[in-house]
Amino acid sequence: MTKMDKILPKSSFSRWLKSLSSMKVFFPKKEASGWTLTEVAADGTIPPDYSYAVVPPKKLIFPQEEIFFEFQQTADDGLQLRETLPEVPPQVIVGVRPCDGRAVAALDQVFSGSFEDPYYWRRRRATILIGLACNTPPSNNCFCLSLEGSPSSEEGLDLLLTDLGDRYYVRVLTEKGGELIKTQSSLFSDPTEEEKNLRNKISQEGAQKIKRNLEAARELPPKLKTMFDSPFWDEAALSCLRCGICTYLCPTCHCFDINDETRALAPLKGRRVRTWDTCQFPDFTMHSSGHNPRPNRASRLRQRLLHKFLYFVELYDRFQCVGCGRCLDLCPVGIDIIEVLSKARNHGA
Amino acid sequence: MVSEDKLREEVSELLQEGKIKYFIGFENGGPGCLARPAFIQQPEAVGRLIWSPGCVHNLTRFLQDEKRRRAREKNPDLRPVGLIVKGCDSRAINVLLQEKYIERKDVYLIGVSCELMGVIDEAKITRRLYPAKPLQVKFGAKDTILVSTDQGESEIAASEVLADRCLECPANFPLVADVVFGEKINKPNPQPYKSIASFEAKSLEERWAFWQDQFSRCLRCYACRSVCPMCYCDECVADSIAYAVSADTTAEEKAQKVKWVERNPEPQENIFYHLVRATHLAGRCVDCGECERVCPVGLPLRLLNKKLEKEAKALFGYEVGFDANLPPLISCFRDNDPQDFIR
Amino acid sequence: MAEEFEPKIMAFICKWCTSAGADLAGVSRLEYPSNVIPIQVMCSGSVSPLYVFSAFSQGADGVLVSGCHPGDCHYMKGNYYARRRLALVKKLLEYIGLEPERFQMSWVSATEGVKFTQIIKDLVKELQPLGPQTKLRRN
Repeated sequence: MTKMDKILPKSSFSRWLKSLSSMKVFFPKKEASGWTLTEVAADGTIPPDYSYAVVPPKKLIFPQEEIFFEFQQTADDGLQLRETLPEVPPQVIVGVRPCDGRAVAALDQVFSGSFEDPYYWRRRRATILIGLACNTPPSNNCFCLSLEGSPSSEEGLDLLLTDLGDRYYVRVLTEKGGELIKTQSSLFSDPTEEEKNLRNKISQEGAQKIKRNLEAARELPPKLKTMFDSPFWDEAALSCLRCGICTYLCPTCHCFDINDETRALAPLKGRRVRTWDTCQFPDFTMHSSGHNPRPNRASRLRQRLLHKFLYFVELYDRFQCVGCGRCLDLCPVGIDIIEVLSKARNHGA
Repeated sequence: MVSEDKLREEVSELLQEGKIKYFIGFENGGPGCLARPAFIQQPEAVGRLIWSPGCVHNLTRFLQDEKRRRAREKNPDLRPVGLIVKGCDSRAINVLLQEKYIERKDVYLIGVSCELMGVIDEAKITRRLYPAKPLQVKFGAKDTILVSTDQGESEIAASEVLADRCLECPANFPLVADVVFGEKINKPNPQPYKSIASFEAKSLEERWAFWQDQFSRCLRCYACRSVCPMCYCDECVADSIAYAVSADTTAEEKAQKVKWVERNPEPQENIFYHLVRATHLAGRCVDCGECERVCPVGLPLRLLNKKLEKEAKALFGYEVGFDANLPPLISCFRDNDPQDFIR
Repeated sequence: MAEEFEPKIMAFICKWCTSAGADLAGVSRLEYPSNVIPIQVMCSGSVSPLYVFSAFSQGADGVLVSGCHPGDCHYMKGNYYARRRLALVKKLLEYIGLEPERFQMSWVSATEGVKFTQIIKDLVKELQPLGPQTKLRRN
């Protein structure tokens, strides 16, 4: 479908959002610990000091807990399974940064292919992503440009808003996004040449403000391929606490664990649950024999970086990192992924 | 004033003379204006070491890695590890000594005094200076902090941006160390449990509503556990079906492992995990504040863990981390321990 | 008219004193409510806080830990450790908002069959108005 551009005055923003209230609307909210995307009665526009949601939108599409099915022992000692596919009412997420939009696109690839994960796709298809372009980088550590993204990237989003001051420039990217405009079309007008130019100017300036840079990212995959056994990782991982924050808060990370939870023994009753997991936990690759192919932090750091910058590239021809900067901002010991990768690229040179 | 040059000299000497295996200190490069842990193995690298108000981390946490390293190696290097300890960190050392997790000779402690009465809370500085983004902090003259931001320099009174835990700290000077930098400045601590007291004043149902709401946000990332110097168990109750399996573990043993808490992040499971952790920290937590600092969703963990620190003092006269010769809190008792709650 | 709520009480009772006291109550034909699920442990000192939390997690409406009087412990010191450890647990549970009546401790000797029955009766009376324990019970 052809993209469509519109203008929405900020004074009409609340009205528009209210018209969406038949769906669940997730809106940026400031908590003591940072921004979250919460179901709040959206009142007014997106606050100007909004940076990014600490817990990325993946939580609303690939939640921390997913119940697969429930099981119950029957009277004749059989086992009855009750599927619990999620019934997901339509949900709108407002304020998705373009990097997080690209991250959702990356997750889409993981959960499709020869097997389409029904739990993921029920939520994904019910979700409409309204992006907000970055007039200034949400984090000092943003580096989306280095990884083929940008502060005005459109991938994965249904709508992209750009803040023009007293108006939003609205770019409709998908049919789902277009539907949201149609119901309140009187609030929207067509952009003037001036407004189009202003939007381009703001986008360019936004990109120029990005401070951090991972040079020559495309050189990384072949270089990393030669470094599997390198002692480089031991040094890089010295201060890692294996806490899991980098992977839990990463918008593209998707590893999970599946457990059967027994509620009663006689008759047997329980459910099978999927939860987030992380390659950074020591027992992530623990075999029941006691052997662990990734027994130390060096091998686990290597795994995280190679997955994102080599394996994913080999599988899907894209990086599994969108340069959002969360792992850089939140790592308790300041492990800097840009620094580590730059050193890796120059290692042994 | 703590001299960074003298600090570097000391470490350089220790490394040159081979007195320590390696040194754990602080360097620039943490997110925002925080420092980050630095591992110095060569004397030439001591230039990386700094001492700033952003040196918030509890470096004693890394003694766990050292201990595991030694356990793995056939002929481990038994020289001590050098590290910087603030007052709170030195109390952590005392607890580890009490529990015989480490021996005094395993560590060479360079103590630093918190002459500013503490270290900074990065969130407070960020809020104070918004929209400027803090990039680095240094000690200023006269109890101030110099902050370099992306929009210039700023000088603010330290008391406005100190970490909450520093405001309730009983020991801003290292209690155990081989050498100490900085002067001992007495810090009055009139209300050591102020945050707990105001919470206790709430009604039962208010307290429950508060914790229920907080624990619905926990992601079970276990960062609080990973960053804690006292959480050194190889097999943790929270993952009791996963760890400590070897080639010799029989199938029966594996089948018998008790699963105390499920992996899912429903509030009741989260509460179980946090209650167990708080209980395991009774008499051991020194309120270094790291668990709360690193929590990505901002759970008020200090409010939970410090409650038992207060009760240890109130019920049993026990102060955490002041005396390495004391037995651990729950490995001892007094004949007149309170029992008014027992029928 | 709704049925009276019958609280489910997990009781960790030490083998040498309280359990014997409970047996004495039984042998003496003393009547007391059947709300208690007794678990015999070797010593009150062996009761880990994990048992208490786990009981609540699995739906117990009340938890009782009962052992020998101080000075009478079969293992000399076990009950002293229990007294200290479980005092902390009690403070913690109340702090997070669990009704203090739900977790209790008692000293019951082998000859105190009457005391045991009285404790159970009192416990049931205290727990009935509180209703089922839903705060810590897992889904």
